[in-house]
Amino acid sequence: MSRVKPTSGTKFLYFLCITISGFLVYLDIKHKSFEGIKNYYQSFIISSSYLLKSSTVDPVIFLYRLTKDKSELINENKQLKLEIDKSYISNFIISRDSKFFVDDESIKRFLAINNINEIFQLAKLEYFDTEMYMCCSKHRAFIKTYKTNNNNNYIGKPVLNYMGLIGQIIYSDSVIEVLLLSDTDHVMPVMSGSHFCNAKGSGKPGKIICTYNNKLWQDKISIGQEFFSSGMGGIYPRGILIGKVVNIREVDESFTELDINLISSPIASNYVGVLEGI
Amino acid sequence: MRNISTAKLLIIIFISNIMESILAPYLIGFYINLPLAFLVFSLAIYNSNYNSNPLFAFLSGFYLDLISSSPFGINAGLFTMMSYVVNSYANTFKLFSYIQICVFFSMSSIFYIGFKNLFISLENFSYLVLFFSFIFNTFLFLLIAMIRYYFPSKAIKYD
Repeated sequence: MSRVKPTSGTKFLYFLCITISGFLVYLDIKHKSFEGIKNYYQSFIISSSYLLKSSTVDPVIFLYRLTKDKSELINENKQLKLEIDKSYISNFIISRDSKFFVDDESIKRFLAINNINEIFQLAKLEYFDTEMYMCCSKHRAFIKTYKTNNNNNYIGKPVLNYMGLIGQIIYSDSVIEVLLLSDTDHVMPVMSGSHFCNAKGSGKPGKIICTYNNKLWQDKISIGQEFFSSGMGGIYPRGILIGKVVNIREVDESFTELDINLISSPIASNYVGVLEGI
Repeated sequence: MRNISTAKLLIIIFISNIMESILAPYLIGFYINLPLAFLVFSLAIYNSNYNSNPLFAFLSGFYLDLISSSPFGINAGLFTMMSYVVNSYANTFKLFSYIQICVFFSMSSIFYIGFKNLFISLENFSYLVLFFSFIFNTFLFLLIAMIRYYFPSKAIKYD
């Protein structure tokens, strides 16, 4: 279908529209005559878009954030728990740094020589058989460090939690096996003042037994006396509180047996530290 | 876009205006200005089977002035002028090739950009922008015109 050319009437209308347009442009630029209408329109657009957004997009964003915040909070909580456990173990070491190291300089020197960034590796308890721990003589804990050691050379390193020493590593692979102090296979040299003896795991939770020759060590031992690690075994640092005497028995006329209640419990925390070295 | 209803055209102009304001900051980096809303309106009256009323063009431009915060009357006047030119040469366009029509629309858009810059922001008036916009718009329109050859079903529907 063909389109006819504008008639003279239409042309006049075009001319009129263009003239009005020019006049309006002049009014707007020169006198800002239409600022009110523009502002009203802009405020209408802003408020309606705000209302639209608050009724459609915002509830969805709110729900999304709610779920995300919850998961973020859980993760943050886990992270904080980890940091707290780590700080507990650090505090344990720091509060007894004179037992682990002579002074700060010796700590730094030790770390520098052995190219160690941290004096302990934080590990998580992977598996612990509480039934075996309560009933039987085999007391083991299985842990996993957060940082993987390339050598996996943890064997013989002491393990501690925020309460104190709990045992030593006897097997180190993807999962690390810890021989606890109360295991019957574990022997640890302990001391109290000038009195030394080898404390063996009793097979009972939180208890070790120390047998000594009373002809050799004639010092009087009393109930509640504290025993410390002697460092003679080359595994544990010297002078760490191990436990208190709860029972004294005369095995025969030459030997006396002491029951020592351990100060630390392996089930006190899920997080432990593997001491890098002493 | 043949014989599009007024309501639809106003909605399309509104969307084009938003797209224009989104694209403009990126395109100006390449000295290109693409007046989408003006081109949409031009295409609508070009494709129409009937001559559009001058008041329709005037009010459409007025509407764009309102939504684009331009001085009132500038788009109204330019739309009216464009409407007059398209209506006057509607039959002549049938003799033109696609390339000539693309060049015509590109020239119109350049006139629109230049005229608008003269009124709104004289300091932004740049021949470089006009030149690059002309080249870019011409190629863009050619590309759009070619689509009908790659999608024959659309060509059949409209022709």
